[in-house]
Amino acid sequence: MSFTFKKQIFGFLDLLRFKKMVPNRRKKLEEGSSSPLPVSYAVNVTAKILHPGYQKAVLEKIEVNTADTKTYHFITEHPFYFEAGEYVSLAAKIEGSEVSRPYAISSSPKEALEKKVSLTIKKVGFFSTYMFDKAKVGDTFLLGDPSGNFVYEPLKDAKHVLALAGGSGITPFYSMAQAIRDQINDYDLTIIYGAKTEKDLIFKKELDTLKSSRVHVVYVLSEEKKEGYQHGFITKEILEPYMKEDVTVMMCGPEAMYEFVTKELESFHLPIRRVKKEANCVASRKGEEKTYQLTVHIGFDTFQVPASSNETILVALERASLPVPSKCRAGGCGFCHSKLVSGKYTIAGADKRRLADLKFGYIHPCCTYPDSDMELIVPKREEIH
Amino acid sequence: MKKYDAVVIGAGNGGLVAAIRLLQGGAKTLLVEKHNLPGGFATSFRRGRFEFEASLHELNDYGPDNNKGDVHVLFEELGVADKIDWIQIPDAYRVICQNEKLDARMPFGVDAFIDQMEKYVPGSRTSMRKFFDLAEEVRLAQAYTSSVNGNADSKIMVRDYGNFVRAGSYSVNEVFKALKMPLKARRILSAYWCYLGASLDDMSFVHYASMVNRYIMRGASTPKMRSHEISLAMVERIRELGGDILLNTEAVKILTSPKDGGVEGVVLDNGEEIATHHIVANCAPHLVYGKLMDHVKEEEIKSTNARKFAGRGFTMFLGLDADPDTLGVEDYNYFLYDTTDSVKQYEMMKTIEGNNAQATVCLNRALPDASPKGTSMMYFTTLYMDDVWGKVSPENYQKVKNYVADKMISRFERDTGAHIREHIEEISIATPMTYARYCLHPEGVIYGYESQYWDGLMPRLQMMNEDYKVRGLRFAGGYSMRLSGYSSAYFSGDISGRQTVGDIKREGK
Repeated sequence: MSFTFKKQIFGFLDLLRFKKMVPNRRKKLEEGSSSPLPVSYAVNVTAKILHPGYQKAVLEKIEVNTADTKTYHFITEHPFYFEAGEYVSLAAKIEGSEVSRPYAISSSPKEALEKKVSLTIKKVGFFSTYMFDKAKVGDTFLLGDPSGNFVYEPLKDAKHVLALAGGSGITPFYSMAQAIRDQINDYDLTIIYGAKTEKDLIFKKELDTLKSSRVHVVYVLSEEKKEGYQHGFITKEILEPYMKEDVTVMMCGPEAMYEFVTKELESFHLPIRRVKKEANCVASRKGEEKTYQLTVHIGFDTFQVPASSNETILVALERASLPVPSKCRAGGCGFCHSKLVSGKYTIAGADKRRLADLKFGYIHPCCTYPDSDMELIVPKREEIH
Repeated sequence: MKKYDAVVIGAGNGGLVAAIRLLQGGAKTLLVEKHNLPGGFATSFRRGRFEFEASLHELNDYGPDNNKGDVHVLFEELGVADKIDWIQIPDAYRVICQNEKLDARMPFGVDAFIDQMEKYVPGSRTSMRKFFDLAEEVRLAQAYTSSVNGNADSKIMVRDYGNFVRAGSYSVNEVFKALKMPLKARRILSAYWCYLGASLDDMSFVHYASMVNRYIMRGASTPKMRSHEISLAMVERIRELGGDILLNTEAVKILTSPKDGGVEGVVLDNGEEIATHHIVANCAPHLVYGKLMDHVKEEEIKSTNARKFAGRGFTMFLGLDADPDTLGVEDYNYFLYDTTDSVKQYEMMKTIEGNNAQATVCLNRALPDASPKGTSMMYFTTLYMDDVWGKVSPENYQKVKNYVADKMISRFERDTGAHIREHIEEISIATPMTYARYCLHPEGVIYGYESQYWDGLMPRLQMMNEDYKVRGLRFAGGYSMRLSGYSSAYFSGDISGRQTVGDIKREGK
């Protein structure tokens, strides 16, 4: 050391100060208040309202929208809040299986603070058929955390959102229109809503009531010609008038619609940041069905579970009634993140895993089909708090 | 009832290392984590075409193979070094303070750093050299202290590390003054302060010098696959060593003995009781003594109440649809301040309106292919020095978070001349509520207990044994003896893990 550090005139005073640090801290710790430590903190309480996690929800009312669509009004255990456009997963035990599906919330965020939330469900598959035919007022369900990125993002999105809805894909936009009415969000929303016939339009009356200087709705019927409605599909001719200004396109509907609309949008050369698509659940795959054996470790337990080669691993786990996490069912949210010990698999669609997940062998069971017997470590489903 | 030699609560950086140390010491170990991913803050998330780093700006004290730092050595001992691919950060930092007309870009390497400072501040060389000499002596003194497990011989300390002892009780600013460092050099050298989150009047010189020295001497690193790669590598190692891990599982109670108040077990959120006599808690003592334990002694209540929460976190993540050159984002690492006086800046960070400081990273400047060709990823972080987010209601939450994020974008564009706003393809914003949600930290604190003058690194290390008050209960992570930050959390896990191995031998299983 080329120099001697000295702060005070005499170096030993610096040494003395050094020696006092411990007694000084000891004294400060002893001087702390003896009143009880807080059991909760405001930030953490608010975090719990924004992200309640799993909670119970009692079915309060069933409303018939169309021949194949109903809206289910629930009363939740806790008040919560969400962003218009988000979904929740709805879970129930059906015929011995633990089943859940994600549904876009069709009510306003405001009502969730009063423990009210609505989901609009079209009868298409196993879960929705149960809801349609069996669910009754008073039944208790498990509701997941509000999730997803299909929301208006003011720092990124244009001031005008062009919402393209197909069939029951109207639900997130219906919630977004209500949020504009309730002055939660501030942007212009034009909804272009495609359905087969007038009778298939969900929330027609409600949407007409929500029309304002900020909310516009255009109905497009593919199988019916009627005054006051556009006819056909959502083509570039229908889209063109809106493309003169900066718009963010948000689309929600079946895959067939995405394919069609994406083509129609091509001529407008929108950058990726201007188009948002709500992901659809991964479906079964086609092909000769084989049955594989899954060895599944959950917590301290190990289970042997049969799995169909045509269904995702998540479906096999649910059929075996194992309480496993599931949220987006589209491979994107990572909620079902599980460790693969051994086995071969195929991922449906784009691989949305993190880089290190590939390196260390993790999969998302919700979008993965088994191609052999497999061994997995799956985290248990979170407890209800 | 399941029985373990030790249970680690929380799989953050400290908890993961503690679990490996326990297993290496022969202890049957269970690690429980509330979230569905390990790592705590050390994680990543996907949005569209991007995989964002959740928290790591740059890892201190790792260093390349030919200049290994203490964290590198620790990772080798843990058996995880070969499981992770690292890249080196190009430059140390760029600090901009428009109010003071300051814009300085500082390199890694002690000599290069001093040379560059001399260019910006002629006449600073002597004091800068003294700073690094002193900082190196701090490092050597700490190495000696660690080698004797904290029981340093005061005669040896005074004889071999005299300057360390003489400077050891002072704050950073007090030492800067004693070294007669020119004001502008002090301003530039102060830039790292927000990484430790206490003003330089409060922060001990030893703590700051130790960090700055390690950054400048060895450079900084980041894993190729974000910090998620580190966390998964640690989990892999824990499984290799036969450890059990429960994710999506919260420890809700610590059971204690009516006889001596020591640890008897842990209750999990499904009601299951685990018998154990040893716990490493990778969480806040505020939670452990305030929520997890009944019959807490008054002494613990007082000493916990006495402590002050450090910064509450806020980070904006942007995925941009142009490369850094097109955007005009020139550097990896930016510190943007209203004032380089950390005392004044700290005060301004006590309100949502007044806080405009940011530490910002463009990942592609270290890892060009971190995102697809023609895109970039950036993250912007600030801290709140008071519980101001506690007053934000759920209804106002989106507005407030977007207000802060908007200010961050404007400031970055103004201070650097870059154009980013029109290129945002993905945006994600983490607030104190986000950190509270995922990591359960009170008030969304991300820096543990503040490095206040009286509660700084030196007295915490010196009182490590004295602070072990409840039999079988030790702490790791930002609230513990090494304070916050990635490398500190790893070391705290190392210390508490090894000490618990010793406890098991001494106190029994």
